[in-house]
Amino acid sequence: MKMSVDKDETLQRLKAAVHYTVGRLCQKTGEDHRREFSRQVIAAIAETTFRQCDIFAKDLEAFARHAKRSTVTTDDVKLVARRSTALSIYIQNKSEELNQEQKDLKKKNTGKRKSRETEEESRE
Amino acid sequence: MAERDAEIVFKKDTVHKLLSGFFKEEKTKLSGDAALLMAEMLKIFVEEAAVRSQKQAESEDCDEVEIEHFEKILPQLLLDF
Repeated sequence: MKMSVDKDETLQRLKAAVHYTVGRLCQKTGEDHRREFSRQVIAAIAETTFRQCDIFAKDLEAFARHAKRSTVTTDDVKLVARRSTALSIYIQNKSEELNQEQKDLKKKNTGKRKSRETEEESRE
Repeated sequence: MAERDAEIVFKKDTVHKLLSGFFKEEKTKLSGDAALLMAEMLKIFVEEAAVRSQKQAESEDCDEVEIEHFEKILPQLLLDF
């Protein structure tokens, strides 16, 4: 009995988190175009986004399973974005940005280690 | 100036919990990068919904974006995603 109550709480909290961000995005769009979004329409967009996550999740899971993986990766996300060329390209670019950030981070850490080593050598 | 440009995003943790909750199988996991990319996808989904609804309101000469405007653009939005 308690488990299902906790699950509902988590669900409500997630829905609230989605609603919050949706509200802020709508507010910004409203400001950019000088037209306010009614509370009803923000709630509707939030609910639709929440339901769309279910569709996305099932698709992601199916793609991963098809590739004989149990972990959903960025390759699966790229497939989910396949219906629109513009969206596809945008997601592809974001993915490359992420990879580049991680490479840069690794290089920074290796660089620090190397310079520290040469410092110690010169001291000897 | 900096406050206006602060990016509105879906938190990686929220997206992770959201999507993981909808997986059918227990063994299915979501990589960190995939969660970040999906956060982008969701942001675009919401922005599209908002902008299209706004344009619909504009075409009807309405001052506020109401639910009827969203309902009209919803079918195409879902097809496009």
